[in-house]
Amino acid sequence: MGMSAAEYLAENVAGGHPELPENTTGTLRLDVRDGGRTEHWCLIIDRQEVRVSRSYSEAELVVRADREVFDRMAEGHLHPAAALLRNDLTVQGNLRLLLALRRLFPGPPGARHPRTSCRGDGR
Amino acid sequence: MKQELLHILAGNSFAMGDAQGDMEVNPYAPIGLWSFDTRFVSHWVLTVDGERLHALSRDELASFETRFVLVPGTATHYVDATASVIRHRSIDDSFNERITLLNHSSEPAEFTVRMEIGSDFADTAEIRQPAPRRPTVTADSVRRQLRLRYQRERFIRETLVTSTEPVEVDARGMTFRVRVAPNGEWHTDLHVVTIIQGAGGRDLRSGLETHRQHVRRDMRADLARWLDRAPQLVADRGSLGPAYTQALTDLAALRYLPLAYRERVPVGGLPWAMALYGRDAMITCLQTLPFTPELTPATLRLLALLQGGRLDDFHDEEPGKILAELRYGEAAAFGEQPTAVYYGAADTTPLFVVLLDEYERWTGDVELVRQLRHPARMALDWIDEYGDLCGDGYLRYQPRNRVNGVANQTWRNSPEAIVDRYGHEPAFPRATCELQGYAYDAKLRGARLARKFWDDPAYADRLEAEAARLRERFNRDFWLPHREYYAFALTPDGAPVDALTSGLGHLLFTGIVEPERADAVAAHLCGPDLFSGWGVRTYADRQRPYNPVGAHLGAVWPSDNALIAAGLRRYGYDREAAQIAAGMFGVVETLDGSVPEVIAGYPRTVTKYPVQLPAAGRPQSWASGGLLMLLATMLGLRPCGDNLLVDPAIPEGYGRIELLDVPGRWGRADSFGRAREAHRRPRLR
Repeated sequence: MGMSAAEYLAENVAGGHPELPENTTGTLRLDVRDGGRTEHWCLIIDRQEVRVSRSYSEAELVVRADREVFDRMAEGHLHPAAALLRNDLTVQGNLRLLLALRRLFPGPPGARHPRTSCRGDGR
Repeated sequence: MKQELLHILAGNSFAMGDAQGDMEVNPYAPIGLWSFDTRFVSHWVLTVDGERLHALSRDELASFETRFVLVPGTATHYVDATASVIRHRSIDDSFNERITLLNHSSEPAEFTVRMEIGSDFADTAEIRQPAPRRPTVTADSVRRQLRLRYQRERFIRETLVTSTEPVEVDARGMTFRVRVAPNGEWHTDLHVVTIIQGAGGRDLRSGLETHRQHVRRDMRADLARWLDRAPQLVADRGSLGPAYTQALTDLAALRYLPLAYRERVPVGGLPWAMALYGRDAMITCLQTLPFTPELTPATLRLLALLQGGRLDDFHDEEPGKILAELRYGEAAAFGEQPTAVYYGAADTTPLFVVLLDEYERWTGDVELVRQLRHPARMALDWIDEYGDLCGDGYLRYQPRNRVNGVANQTWRNSPEAIVDRYGHEPAFPRATCELQGYAYDAKLRGARLARKFWDDPAYADRLEAEAARLRERFNRDFWLPHREYYAFALTPDGAPVDALTSGLGHLLFTGIVEPERADAVAAHLCGPDLFSGWGVRTYADRQRPYNPVGAHLGAVWPSDNALIAAGLRRYGYDREAAQIAAGMFGVVETLDGSVPEVIAGYPRTVTKYPVQLPAAGRPQSWASGGLLMLLATMLGLRPCGDNLLVDPAIPEGYGRIELLDVPGRWGRADSFGRAREAHRRPRLR
């Protein structure tokens, strides 16, 4: 059982991200729909740091989806690009920030380093 | 009889149909109206009084606009036709067809005009066997509208066809019952809007007026500006001018605006690659720097945004890797294909660094080099961290996605492309020779960028030392002393795959070849086994797997030949480079229109005519870009400090060539060259 999107955002997204370019900056809001309620998360990306808070504020990019969709992304089971194409996830604003957000979510569990993948596996 | 297929295109949208303008599903070609990897119209057939039409003529006005003149009935009795039909179609984000019916008789006449309309909403990945789908159809005669809608979960694609004239709409099309005055005419506009719900929030709906204005004014003006910004060619040889304009026009038509982006980037080409391919886009950019440098920053920035960030077996993704393919269709959305963002390519990542450096050399755009420092660093790190699969210092590939990933992750991407002289396939992971050349070049160029612009001399030293070791290792392990060429690839055990291929030209292009071996390499490239008379074959004759119609086992690619000719000139083989350039332009002179992406490898002396392969794409960005690069190679254009260096090697019989207003860090500069007895002069960077 993977962690929920809320846990993932608080524990893994907040903090330093050397994998993001230094010049990626922006504000994102995630609107997580859960039945009749919507939970808002605010992400501020600045110089490889991401600040995360549970709050509503204006943002350059707003990403909306059901809780289940965010949870599957946080578990690495759903690629944000595929979620967007399926219309499971809708966005408004600066779409380039979605590509930064994609890097903050994990890859699929059990993915292999290519070197491990080909060891003893010549064909 | 196989029908001729015609197309109009704009970006990643295109409409393909027969010579009458009708579109009917065919398993061998992507017929219909396509946009963002979805077929929005698969059936579009016009009849008058129940009869199909026969084409008298057509006028391909522009890449985005065609006019057909037709008469009812078959060829046997059209001569006394008393009516004719003009279909005038155009494409941008939407598609429009104006149907004009002319009554040639002196009496008023009544006609039943019928357009059969349908869509299967197929994905590009399933042209041979489209999945059965059940679109919802809404016919609305009052609003003169037919709506076809396909939904799977939240994924929705819609086609909306509207007529400007009164019409009876049913689930299978539109019927007009019209009365036309003596010598009079009637017309209607059928406007087709393709709707992608969600997917980036971009609403692709556009009205007829917007479409007309866009096609008539904006697209024509945009093309005129594009042609105007490019250098002017003045050439004694009459065929060069039209070939040059055609190549530029193809490149203009093959730019598309991705959903998440503000600038246009090149798609691969018609009909199979109307999507962003990292390799095709970057090679096209490399080829076109002296002509249309604006393609490059847009492409590099987008590829940087899409750079791999995590490990993902299905998408063959690793941190730092540069994209292979990006698609928007249903198969990508639902993970039936890995193409929503696919990274199965081993050459794109080093090519990213090569292109960034080459772009700066031409344009002096230091700002972009600084902006892209982080992605370029990640790309360079990827080469050793994720690309060196056996830990022996060679860049290799092995797909982790074994279901529908690409087996051969280089430009030779057909499944049987990598074989030795006897047809044996090496095991994975495979280290092909040109990958080592790209990695070597990327490290050297990365070092220059680090030293000059990133203020990181220690990193530059490290990259240069790695490049030197790679060069030494490569020249030791790949060189086949008895055959006097570099092996095609190495097996995982380091044994050479001994086939002779055009990969040698890429090695010259990257500079990894030791100068004392260049004579032998150039002799192979221009010898009878590799050189067909039109160009260098992908795979040399007199080896068991050679096949003149095998895409990567003997056929000839203009994009490949453009890099080979540039590589030959880099090492001073001017006459050999001119011979290849002349062969390639010979293809264009013999075939009308855009240069195909590949032709068969038969000897020119045998066929006299370049033999086309049925599966070859046309137009194709890197084929059209290849022609421009061959032109630049003939003139020997090269940035040298803040100046444009011109060192012509023009093929015999070409007379004088002038390329005026070449853009670059010098502003604009003119270049001239005249055919003369070529002489050899080593010139090494």
